[in-house]
Amino acid sequence: MHSKKRLAVTASTAAALLIGLTGCGGAPDQASDDGIGPITFASGKDLTGAMPQLIDMWNEAHPDQEVTFLELSASPDDQRTSFVQDFQAKSGNYDVIWGDVVWTSEFAAHGWLEELDPEKVASPDILPAAVESAKYDGKIWAAPFMTNAGLLYYRSDLIDAPPTTWEELQAGCEIAAANNMDCYAGQFAQYEGLTVNVAEVINSAGGSFLSEDGKSVTVDSPEAREGLQHLVDMFENGDINASGITYQEQESANAFLDGKVMFLRNWPYVYTAASEEGSAIAGKFGTAVLPGLDGTGISSLGGINLGVSAFSKNKETAKAWVEWMQSEEAQRVLVSVMNQASVRSDLYTDPELVEVSPYLPTLQESLESANPRPRTPNYNAVSLAIQENAYAALQGTASVDEAITQMAADLEQAIQ
Amino acid sequence: MSISPRVLNRRRSRTGTGRAKDGGLAFWLVIPSVAVLTLVIAFPVISSIIRSLFGDGIGEVPFVGLDNYAQALWGYNADDFWASTGVTYLFTAVTIVLETLIGLGMALVANRAFRGRGLIRASVLVPWAVPTAVAAVLWKWAFDPQGIINSLLGTDIIWTGSSVPSMIAIIVADTWKTAPFVALLVLAGLQVIPEEVYEAAKIDGASAWKRFVFITLPLVKPALLVAVLFRMLDALRMYDLPEIMTNGANGTATLSVLVVQSTLSQLKPGYGGALSTLTFLLIFVTAYLFVRLLGVNAVEQAGGRKGKKQ
Repeated sequence: MHSKKRLAVTASTAAALLIGLTGCGGAPDQASDDGIGPITFASGKDLTGAMPQLIDMWNEAHPDQEVTFLELSASPDDQRTSFVQDFQAKSGNYDVIWGDVVWTSEFAAHGWLEELDPEKVASPDILPAAVESAKYDGKIWAAPFMTNAGLLYYRSDLIDAPPTTWEELQAGCEIAAANNMDCYAGQFAQYEGLTVNVAEVINSAGGSFLSEDGKSVTVDSPEAREGLQHLVDMFENGDINASGITYQEQESANAFLDGKVMFLRNWPYVYTAASEEGSAIAGKFGTAVLPGLDGTGISSLGGINLGVSAFSKNKETAKAWVEWMQSEEAQRVLVSVMNQASVRSDLYTDPELVEVSPYLPTLQESLESANPRPRTPNYNAVSLAIQENAYAALQGTASVDEAITQMAADLEQAIQ
Repeated sequence: MSISPRVLNRRRSRTGTGRAKDGGLAFWLVIPSVAVLTLVIAFPVISSIIRSLFGDGIGEVPFVGLDNYAQALWGYNADDFWASTGVTYLFTAVTIVLETLIGLGMALVANRAFRGRGLIRASVLVPWAVPTAVAAVLWKWAFDPQGIINSLLGTDIIWTGSSVPSMIAIIVADTWKTAPFVALLVLAGLQVIPEEVYEAAKIDGASAWKRFVFITLPLVKPALLVAVLFRMLDALRMYDLPEIMTNGANGTATLSVLVVQSTLSQLKPGYGGALSTLTFLLIFVTAYLFVRLLGVNAVEQAGGRKGKKQ
């Protein structure tokens, strides 16, 4: 019985291997000398269902350069793993990849991306912060496609005007306490969201993590300490509920949607859920730019850049496709159907779009001062160093001073 | 592991010519398995060890000898590595004790003849059938500050927000998940204990407790040790639960979490390779010691008994 079973296992493993092998060799080679021809666009899971619409628009106009849509996992980590494997195998199966803005430097540094023409994908119409995120070593390696910045959601029924500084935020906390609410929520679990939130307070206080070229560590500064201290203080005096240390995007949004918290730092997507019919806070909230130390704060920049694989066989088509994805035609679909933030600055004041998404002017203001997270080929190691040390400070297991000193040492190690 | 003694026993009973023929055929039958095993086990292990001798970075990677190992064992990352090793062994020790006790209890209950026994047996297995990642998400919700655990206990503990509560949460989830596995193996062991032995003991006037201690435990010991060995190998490479429930925060980053972080997330296959080789060695040595001290005996006993029955 046992040996039979084993034989069956062996046979099925062998069969699986065979299938795998033939699968590799089976792809038809459609390369052409001029780099024009059908391409594959590998993207994260399309939760909006609008991506096929964009692809159909392109395919109808370019029947000989058809784009095939390849939908990957919804998890950014898994997407990145797929891309890295494809690049390492130099397969060119993915002609165009959809990548989180923080991956551009890493992919470019490894030589996995094709350099793009700044005149075409980094024109003055494109938001400068988004263009910055596509830069590495002074060159442009990806076409900004979608962007994102943090907003401060506040309860407009309880306070008259949103706070612009941390001091004003503090005043709002007293009103929150009087209403039996928590004051502030953000993303403080140990994951990428913590890097985003910590980068915002440290940048807003005038600090930074790495130098412009990403080659030296700059976090060991009084400004960085002051920024982190702000969050630690809010945890210590209860302005951030102790359970806030477990919050990711959704948990923090839920706290605000349930009316349990006065201020929320989150991405624009919360707006839709908060204004929906049946929401406990519909009509009772507003959005503002994040507050800072003295004056408005600096948001971390999110978003998606489209990169052309260095191993693509049809690079000309791939480049034309990412340029078209930036066009007004495509970006209008992005804003109106996918409900995402455009990289084109002119769309933020378009009356038609503002009517659907009233937060757009605020978002534009936030985007104008937004900062890409540290740009380095070792982004994940850098982010982990920021998360681990900031988390220790928020938990109170390390003082702010110790946390920043250790963060600087870990960052030194991470960028090597 | 339980196969070879039986095969040996069967072989012994054959005639000389039969054995030779058997051997020749067996050799050819085994070849595909060996080839596949080499391809899927030996190749990755060896290539990972070779890779661990090279540095990380962009472009051509330099040969660095044992630097990656030094970095993990006493270099810059030593604190992380030893903390992970510590927490991995802590999880292993605590979960094995809990799972063995609970699994044994479940098996004893399931082995009794009573109405609805089939239902109990099936329902005991449900946690084992749930994919670990799904179980991790379920328990993450249960251990939410506003979750069901806090409301049942009437507490306000932020389970996944600090060190000890996080570890408790992970241990509870792991125990829930795999105690049924232990129960299953032990139940199989219980079922081969012949009823006559108990009857004889009863006639001799042995109490229920004595029957358990002097008959059940010694006879189920081989199965129990195999269950513990499997659990140990499994627990030492625990990954899903800490990764999903705490993201490795609060000192719950096990060795496997560390390996994945370095290799995949930070693209340091050299250092990650060194970590996974070290993890492999730790697990190997632990399992070897366990088998040497307790296990060999168990395998022989189990094999011997099965052999007699045939």
